[in-house]
Amino acid sequence: MAEAVYILCALTSAACAVLLLRAWRRTRMKLLLYSGLCFSAFTVNNVLLFVDLVLIPAGDLSLARTATSLTGAAVLLYGLIWDVS
Amino acid sequence: MFKTLLDGAVMMAYLACALFFLRFYVQSKDRLFALFSLAFTLMGVHNLLGTLVAPTLDAERLHYLYVVRLVAYLLILGAIWDKNRARRSPR
Repeated sequence: MAEAVYILCALTSAACAVLLLRAWRRTRMKLLLYSGLCFSAFTVNNVLLFVDLVLIPAGDLSLARTATSLTGAAVLLYGLIWDVS
Repeated sequence: MFKTLLDGAVMMAYLACALFFLRFYVQSKDRLFALFSLAFTLMGVHNLLGTLVAPTLDAERLHYLYVVRLVAYLLILGAIWDKNRARRSPR
């Protein structure tokens, strides 16, 4: 069950990233680019989550996971403040 | 300590993004932005729960927290699907 939740998190965030970046290629809307990059970082975060909690439970990747979350959110926030507003 | 600080920064960033999307929704009345705002609020809540509750949970129960995150991602997917459907069949 736990594995399924982590894998689904990774798959759904990857799907979000692909759909947003595809929409950006079609429309060239900056907001879609930043959202797509944000969800790409979230995908890396969810892959790290799976590696951390399922594949290598003895290791601790929590700082790397927080860093990728922060990167994703910061990219989107930068886009929202600097490019879109 | 440092990680808690970073977690707080991530939550703040999520909630700031949610507020931006809420503003776009109020300006444009586009449902896509409302769903994005809701999803980022959920991600912020997940982050808060992750910091406050996760240390008290055992490994078997930890994944329940991540269901909140999964719901947020599904909301984003639903928002994109809804937007695409609206474009294909303009009323």
